[in-house]
Amino acid sequence: MHRLARKLVLFMSLALLAVACGGGDDGGGEGAQQGESKDPIVVGAIFDLSGATSDVGTPYAQGIQDYVKFKNGKGGLDGHQIDLKFSDFAYKVPNAEQLYSQYVQEGAVAFMGWGTADTEALRTRVTSDEIPFMSASYAETLVNPEETPFNFFPGVSYSNQLRAVLKYIGDQEKGAQAKVAFFHHDSPFGTSPLEDGQKYIEENKLKIEMVAVKMPTGAQDFNPQLQNEGAGAKYVVIQNVPSPSAKLAQNVRASGSAATIVCMNWCGDEIFVKGAGDAAEGVIAVMPFAPPTAGAQGLEDLIAFTGGQANLEAKTLRYVQGWFTMATMAEGITKALAAADGGEITGVEVKAALETVKDFETGGVSKPITFSETNHAGLQSTPLYVVKGGKFEKLVDEIEI
Amino acid sequence: MASATGVYHTTYRRDFALRHTRAEWVRLVLLVAGAIALPYYLQDNAFWLQAATRFLVFGIAVVGLMVLTGYTGLVSLATGAFLGVGAFTTANVASRYGWPVPVGILVATLVAAVIGAFFGLPALRLKGLYLAITTLAAQYILLYTFRNWDYLTDGAGNIAARAPCIGGESGNKLCTGGTRLDSDFAWYWIALVCLVVVLMAVRNLFRTGLGRALIAIRDQDIAAEVIGVHVGRYKILAFAIACGLAGFSGALNAHWRNVVTWERYEINESFLAVAMIIIGGLGSVAGAVYGAGFMIWLESFIQRMGQEFRTTFEDLGLDVPALQLFAFGAVIVLFLLLEPRGLARLWQRTKDYFRLWPFRY
Repeated sequence: MHRLARKLVLFMSLALLAVACGGGDDGGGEGAQQGESKDPIVVGAIFDLSGATSDVGTPYAQGIQDYVKFKNGKGGLDGHQIDLKFSDFAYKVPNAEQLYSQYVQEGAVAFMGWGTADTEALRTRVTSDEIPFMSASYAETLVNPEETPFNFFPGVSYSNQLRAVLKYIGDQEKGAQAKVAFFHHDSPFGTSPLEDGQKYIEENKLKIEMVAVKMPTGAQDFNPQLQNEGAGAKYVVIQNVPSPSAKLAQNVRASGSAATIVCMNWCGDEIFVKGAGDAAEGVIAVMPFAPPTAGAQGLEDLIAFTGGQANLEAKTLRYVQGWFTMATMAEGITKALAAADGGEITGVEVKAALETVKDFETGGVSKPITFSETNHAGLQSTPLYVVKGGKFEKLVDEIEI
Repeated sequence: MASATGVYHTTYRRDFALRHTRAEWVRLVLLVAGAIALPYYLQDNAFWLQAATRFLVFGIAVVGLMVLTGYTGLVSLATGAFLGVGAFTTANVASRYGWPVPVGILVATLVAAVIGAFFGLPALRLKGLYLAITTLAAQYILLYTFRNWDYLTDGAGNIAARAPCIGGESGNKLCTGGTRLDSDFAWYWIALVCLVVVLMAVRNLFRTGLGRALIAIRDQDIAAEVIGVHVGRYKILAFAIACGLAGFSGALNAHWRNVVTWERYEINESFLAVAMIIIGGLGSVAGAVYGAGFMIWLESFIQRMGQEFRTTFEDLGLDVPALQLFAFGAVIVLFLLLEPRGLARLWQRTKDYFRLWPFRY
């Protein structure tokens, strides 16, 4: 009995091993529909569903996956189904690299990345492999095709967001001196717009004193920072993800400060509003993509797909962001297919096609998205929203920098 | 270590040999053949080829940790940070300042060894858990330095480490006129050669007086001091060797992956290295290799299983990182319960079974 059990275990483990090592080509992802004569277009994607940024990563990932399902249901891209190969990399760089290599070998012509860590780690690889990489990281370093020719993002760069915020503050203060405390995540993501923000203040002779304050990872409250560097600030600008930003907002209100809180794009969403509670009231948010409550015409497809306005609102703004990020990539691929006129497309063609995307309409969810050979940031201007009664309302439609 | 019956040696040289019997030679030849054939077999499988190369590169650091923890008995939780020391040093030396890549890697190894020796100073006064805590401090201090010392990354937060260039102009980023070694296939060979050299060096280290002194420190450090082993000096030396090898591994990894970011060198890498040496079997160099191979295989296997099963169990497929963590812990617990001497002991028992059959011992 003992020997039989041992033999069975050995056999089963060998069988599992064979299945694991053998199965190469059909690992994971949305398969092509039966009966399609055109080859599916393979797009690789990595999501953070259980790591450090999973609170915003999970709805973003759902947005991308649902867009693919939606588009495939409508016949795909010019008849080609999208084969989305994706996995959770838990914000661990070695996982991101391994999955990237796997999906590129499995024929991916484009890649949907996520945050600063994986985008930076894969930056040189995507350039040498010539695979266009669309990230959710909006760092200014990814904008210039001379440095990162294959990186794109359909959003407003962090530097431009800070410039917009500073312009708004300058307009509000009408020449009066104001102190701005820039609270940021303790990483390159957090410090990314600082230098450009300072330059903007100097160039436009704004009477703003901007102080950079680090938000240590895992801190339970930010009162020490508010009392020291952040003391006397009239504006608190937050460049961080929603959970710590919500804590900071609560600290600001609890300290009795009447400072206006301004959230950059990764801070301002429903998770922040829920986490901050009453402290979220009056918070201004930079939102390149409209929230589900905005009633934009472009949200109709999403409402239909998710089964109602309430369902869409539950999925949060990040779902909308993911949906339209994938839509932008799909637009690039469609253009590449049109240019190839029935021929095979590779990453190089998709990259060239993305650079021809001009005024891609999102039905009012964002300003029209444009890429060019000199600029890989899809949006140059953004609206500002304000939280009223727990919901986002548009404050300013467009800030001209 | 018991050898087959009927094997006897007539010279000291023969007694010192690493392989005594024909069976041992045959196994070595098979292993070498397997290692050479593997990248060709995996050429179309980027996922597993990258896992194999990662095993070879990380294995160097694990062998270093085995010298420190398995042979000298000093627990270290700073492997991740020293991987980073090596990586940032070589990125600065070879990429930013334009020195050749081998020089960068050598400098990285030496810098990591020196910094390791410095952080090993508490070993002169502390033992066991307390020493482990000071190495934990080293991990966090070094990680903080990587994140906040702007000089390292020139303010950018990450730094590129160029791939080695054979034949072309060495300082040139584009490697015109030469071949760039940036594929997983090329790096498999580089890492294999480096790992083999390191394995032979460490194996030979433990056939010398220095190696025996380190083992004596692990087993009975007071008795070792009494018979004349300079315990303090050798403990620092063990730290230097282990951290130097970790720096070497980190430098190789930097030139392979081409971008050095601090996110790669967090505490979980240190825990992974410690788990590898425990599972592999403390006290043998082969154990370090088995442990490293097994853990990296397991991680990739679960990732693969998750992808295969996604069509049938959709939620399960997306929980792969959670499953990896679960497997990580479960494997450590199972090994400590069922075979505390690790994979090396399991392999030894397998060999003995076939050698001694039909007898039990």
